[in-house]
Amino acid sequence: MMDQSLPDKAATVQLFHTCLINEFYPEVGMAVVHILERLGIRVEVPLDQTCCGQPAYNSGFLEETKKVAVKNLEVLSSTEGAIIIPSGSCGDMIIHQYRILFAENPDLLKKVDKVSRRCYEFSQFLVDVLGITDLGARLKARGAYHPSCHLLRGLKIKDQPKILLENIAELEMVEFEDPEECCGFGGMFSIKNPEISGRMMDNKISNLQASKVDMVISCDMGCLMHLEGGLHRKGSQIRVRHLAQVLDSGVD
Amino acid sequence: MENKLSKSKEVILTRVRESQVLARLPEIMPESTDGLKSHHQPESDLLNSLQKEFDLLGVETYVEKNQKAVCKRLRNLLQDKSVLSWNLDNLPYDAGTVLQSRNVYFERDDKIIQASADIGLTGCDAAIAETGSLVLLSGEGKPRTASLLPFEHIALIRQSDIYFTMSDFFDKKGKEVSQASCIDIITGPSRTADIELSLTLGVHGPGKVIVVIGP
Amino acid sequence: MSHFSDRVDKALADDNLSEALKKATSQLVSRRSTAFSSLEDAENLRDIARNTKMKILHNLEDNLLKFEKSLQKNGSHVHWAKDAEEANNVVIEIAQKQAVKKIVKSKSMLSEEIHLNTALIKAGMQVVETDLGEYIVQLAGDKPSHIIAPIIHMTREDVGNLMHDRLSVPFSDEPEVLTRIARRKLRQEFLDADMGITGANFGVVETGSICLVTNEGNARMVTTLPKIHVVLIGIEKLVATFEDLNRFLKLLARSATGQKLSVYTSIIQGPGKGTETGPEEVHVVLVDNGRSGMLGGDLAESLACIRCGACLNVCPIYKNIGGHAYGDTYAGPIGSIITPGLRGLAQWHELPAASTLCGACKEVCPIRIDIPKMLLKLRQVTPPKVKASISLRMAIKCFAVIAGIPKVYKGFTAFGSRLLRFLGSKSWLTNNIPLLDRWTKVRDFKTPAKKSFQRMWQEKIAKDGK
Repeated sequence: MMDQSLPDKAATVQLFHTCLINEFYPEVGMAVVHILERLGIRVEVPLDQTCCGQPAYNSGFLEETKKVAVKNLEVLSSTEGAIIIPSGSCGDMIIHQYRILFAENPDLLKKVDKVSRRCYEFSQFLVDVLGITDLGARLKARGAYHPSCHLLRGLKIKDQPKILLENIAELEMVEFEDPEECCGFGGMFSIKNPEISGRMMDNKISNLQASKVDMVISCDMGCLMHLEGGLHRKGSQIRVRHLAQVLDSGVD
Repeated sequence: MENKLSKSKEVILTRVRESQVLARLPEIMPESTDGLKSHHQPESDLLNSLQKEFDLLGVETYVEKNQKAVCKRLRNLLQDKSVLSWNLDNLPYDAGTVLQSRNVYFERDDKIIQASADIGLTGCDAAIAETGSLVLLSGEGKPRTASLLPFEHIALIRQSDIYFTMSDFFDKKGKEVSQASCIDIITGPSRTADIELSLTLGVHGPGKVIVVIGP
Repeated sequence: MSHFSDRVDKALADDNLSEALKKATSQLVSRRSTAFSSLEDAENLRDIARNTKMKILHNLEDNLLKFEKSLQKNGSHVHWAKDAEEANNVVIEIAQKQAVKKIVKSKSMLSEEIHLNTALIKAGMQVVETDLGEYIVQLAGDKPSHIIAPIIHMTREDVGNLMHDRLSVPFSDEPEVLTRIARRKLRQEFLDADMGITGANFGVVETGSICLVTNEGNARMVTTLPKIHVVLIGIEKLVATFEDLNRFLKLLARSATGQKLSVYTSIIQGPGKGTETGPEEVHVVLVDNGRSGMLGGDLAESLACIRCGACLNVCPIYKNIGGHAYGDTYAGPIGSIITPGLRGLAQWHELPAASTLCGACKEVCPIRIDIPKMLLKLRQVTPPKVKASISLRMAIKCFAVIAGIPKVYKGFTAFGSRLLRFLGSKSWLTNNIPLLDRWTKVRDFKTPAKKSFQRMWQEKIAKDGK
């Protein structure tokens, strides 16, 4: 349906599916594929991709991170077209942190530059590159949008997901208190400091509950896995959804 | 002591010298001061802007047409209360005449006596319209205590001393500013919100600031 | 000293504290954002302020020498102190020379950093804090918990009870009444004191001016009534000119309390002249105490901090654990850099680890200090043995090797998935499982999907006949 106006770099795209989607939430990856293919985009999945390295990086293990990042760069460099990353924090890692990681290695820096210029977070790609704000989705629910920190403050992606959500038929998006406050996941932080992480999660969940939402929608499965774990523990009915899942709802 | 101190100085400066070469500081970014230049308001707006800020700060403001009216206003405000004042020749509008045959203290009085006054009376070197601030340059006959110790502070402002921004004042009166041993910039009454963030006025300084703006 | 995790547990268990922190920080955050929205060209002002600080730090040696000259020209005495002990001794010597008995202090973070009060009391002097919050903290024998609001952790009843106990006054929980009591008590202290001690918000290199900002007026009292005024200033707190100072004042007040300007800005330029009231002697103590060390590396940028507290109020960690949990003078995100920077990482490595790197601090910092970047740096230089348990270290080492070989990575994750599913035997793990117990402490663990995304994808390709 969009073939003719599709920018060149969008004809074929690479999906960087992230570890969490691959192992825990494959349906999110499939939703991304469905949406892109419906737009007439050819999706490829580099099967050799591994982790972006963020867990090691944020724990201060620089050398280990570099090993992973080098491999990842190698895999991504051998592909062509835009690289779609359905995660704010993996996106921030590859787009911003790789530059810092290899700041003193001009050769790798060149490689980072080439790869990161092809990288787009999923909602950013839809809205900023393709210029699409309405995907014809339909979903009867009360939803709240949780902007994940690395998406919002790292990649500075604020409005794109909200615009896409506003255009979903029958989906009522509701406000809740302190939406932009961190949910307490923070990767290894959630394990190193479970008490603080848990309290931050509780705050987020109570704010969501106070707004009586059916689902919390985000662009990062890290935050959502953490929140889902908390919601499950509390026996809450609130579900977690990646943006791609709701955008893939109710389309024939 | 001198010797030991100069040694510390050497130690610190050597460390700083060695460190500043190694410092990983961000690059200096492009900047523009254009948007920061003082807003050259028309003279007539200065008074309005100043009054607006005073209102927001809870500063009681009176604007008087002439010297006589200023003195009359001052007389009413002082009633029969005791006053800690700048020396009379430092007050504008011959306001000293209002103080005759009153209980008045000056900087020469003991600080305990100064502290007993009900009202502090001062002129002011500048009033800043942007922030509603009074600028007082300390000096002989202009005691800092007058704007500080009593619970009420009355400041007399000449319209010609109103500036829009602090920079405007600094530009114009650089020499006076650099020679003062203390520059006090006062923006509203003394306040605190330390106890449960509840606003309370008059912690250490005046809880009430009154300005009389003359011609 | 207590352990970080104990302090965190204590804070999280304190319901009053949680309530007070939430109320205070949200109010300060909203005031800040209102104040900034009314500031024309705020972003440019921040850029300029940042540059100003970086230029100062790039040439700190020259700036310090110039500052010293300007101070001396104004008639101030200049002292240098390379560490806490020296700084305390300098102050004690000045006091002893003039037979000082009673000292009044205006809030100074630096004096807390070097534990000046303890040193002065040990030397036989009486020291009174005069900022209302600090005064209450001192009465309570407690420590301040926020840069701008030192008793954010106390309720009005707490304060009322404390004053009733320590000052023998009738109980009240009215802030107005309590403030009046403090005014009366402290007024006498100001009048009796022989020496006043302050910190400095800024030092102006060109003019040798010391700038002090308060809302209560206690810094004015401290610098006006006693005959000696001692200023403690960190060697990093310089700005070049009055014009710079003016800009920083705008940013500081808005960031700290949401005011256009704090109530009292005092710019001290030497002792009182002639018959004017004011101190006869002004002593300025330039304190290093670890700052020059921080300058020479990755933490240099943090020396640009103007102590506004804005990063504390937006920090989701600070908001939940409060200032005391940080265990030292400087709390919040910037404290997690400054404390290890000044005191050493070995004892303070938990602070930089206790962050989600959410970036809220960097966003509000008036000087745009890249706090998350430095927290990451500190994690990198933390020795591996300290920063992670042996199992975690092994896990990360294996991870690096495995993730570097795609085939092995795939096999390993597939195996891990199956193992976890087996352990869970359904879709959720709720019990404490080895290696996962810190996750399941507060939340359930979702077991991996039966089919990975890559498998689904490959099946799809096969079906599509591509």
